[in-house]
Amino acid sequence: MERPGVKGRPVDLLVEGFRKGTPGAFEAIVRAHQDRVYSFCARMLSDREDAFDAAQEVFLSAWRNLAEFRGEAALSTWLLRIAANRCLNRIRRRKSLSEREAPWPEPFGEADEGLIFQPAGGEADHPDRLAETCEMGEILTKALSRLDPGSRWMVLLSDVEGFSYEEIAALAEVPVGTVKSRLHRARMAMRRLLSPVA
Amino acid sequence: MDAMDCKQTRDLLSEYEDGALDAAAAAALAAHLGGCVECAGCAGSLRAVREVLRSLPPDPAPPELLPGILAAIEAEGRDARADGAPGGADAARPFFSRFRIPLEAAAAVLLFASVYWYRRVEPPMTRPPSSMSAATEEIAGARAGRSPSPAPRPVRKTAKEEAPAAAIARKARTWTAADLPSAPALRASTDSERIMPVVPSPGPTADPAAAGAPAFGERRSAEAEGGADSRPSPVFAAPPSRLLRPLPYGRDIVVDVKRESREGAEERIAGAALRLGGIVERIERGPSGAAPDTAGTVRVILPESAAARFLEEMDRIGTIPTEGKPAATDLPAGPRPGTVAYAVRIRAR
Repeated sequence: MERPGVKGRPVDLLVEGFRKGTPGAFEAIVRAHQDRVYSFCARMLSDREDAFDAAQEVFLSAWRNLAEFRGEAALSTWLLRIAANRCLNRIRRRKSLSEREAPWPEPFGEADEGLIFQPAGGEADHPDRLAETCEMGEILTKALSRLDPGSRWMVLLSDVEGFSYEEIAALAEVPVGTVKSRLHRARMAMRRLLSPVA
Repeated sequence: MDAMDCKQTRDLLSEYEDGALDAAAAAALAAHLGGCVECAGCAGSLRAVREVLRSLPPDPAPPELLPGILAAIEAEGRDARADGAPGGADAARPFFSRFRIPLEAAAAVLLFASVYWYRRVEPPMTRPPSSMSAATEEIAGARAGRSPSPAPRPVRKTAKEEAPAAAIARKARTWTAADLPSAPALRASTDSERIMPVVPSPGPTADPAAAGAPAFGERRSAEAEGGADSRPSPVFAAPPSRLLRPLPYGRDIVVDVKRESREGAEERIAGAALRLGGIVERIERGPSGAAPDTAGTVRVILPESAAARFLEEMDRIGTIPTEGKPAATDLPAGPRPGTVAYAVRIRAR
């Protein structure tokens, strides 16, 4: 009998293999998802050592609970949910202000919107072109680290990982409207942060 | 839907780019973007940011992540197997691990209670009093210029020797031993006195007979009796420092006595204190060999109720100058609540 959510995805076959006790199945799962989980943690926590520990915790938690994974969502979604929770817990645990990233101030004041806004330039100045020449990945990571953690993980899940509003709302246990407004504010903040580049 | 203004447009731009707006709202927004260069630019840059984020490649995980995860899983698996294994060397682990936290908590409580109990216990109030013969020997030793040992070991006395002075001391007491300290109070709530005797200054001497066998006099008499045992005892704590200075308490009063009755004034004052149920904390005399009419001081601690009678006694022994006489209501605080302390300075006139 085929479980829901395991329609031909090789990674789900790995989950089945893990459940049946196939040797090496979990190692294959880790290999398949470690980059995605680790980079999500690194962008959330802005600290590679913390991200390493968090990613390890995510896979350990998955190993303990994979038997209860019902396959309603993709395994990657499930893993990223665990990662988001772990990262938010870690961010909450950071007690001293010095350890916290400076929260991004309320991004819009309507008054200064016009001053900061820069219309998109020509093709050569377009952000995705600049990514190739100006190590846009690094710039984006830095910009992300300046968002407040409560919005950052939503941007990561939505724009980097492709989660829907509803999925994020379920994960954050907030209404969909809250997700929409937070995402919007965070994206506009990102736009402002990147506008000198764009 | 009505035409949108710039604010409405920008508020909905994110949802518009996500395709989350209904058709009418999306059409109105698109119409606004067609006519507003600024909003169109804003939408363009927002779209560009989202595209860049979407194309952000994952950072490769460090190569040690996978081995770390597998090692942690292996360790956890071992623990799980050990927990479930019947018999064998590991079988005892779950039992002790189950009781580990309660045992640790009990040990902590026990430790706390023992420290608390140790700190509450006062040093014994009634010390074995030395005999008159020991006191005589001590005075003789002091006059011969023998300096007291800093920490002489106590010498056990026979019951016969102890009996008279102890009986006097017991008879004189009218309140419990816990009310008064047996040694000068120390600063900084240190308990160093328990492990290292407080060494009196070399100048003053104590009269054990009058003082109700105070600790220092007893030590010196012990030294006088057992000359061979006068080696300094080992020091188990830091040397005395400023922290060990006595707390200032009590009041100095002056008693003028006539020259002819100067001798024995200390003993008379100490006797008065003992009769009123007090103790003699210390008797300070002049240097040994000095003239008998030199000034001396007797430090006494009394129950608060005996303060007035003690001053009357002092008036009988000598004269308290009017300017130095404490008022009846002026009770100088002793080292414990309910006690008063006086340092009676004897002045020969």
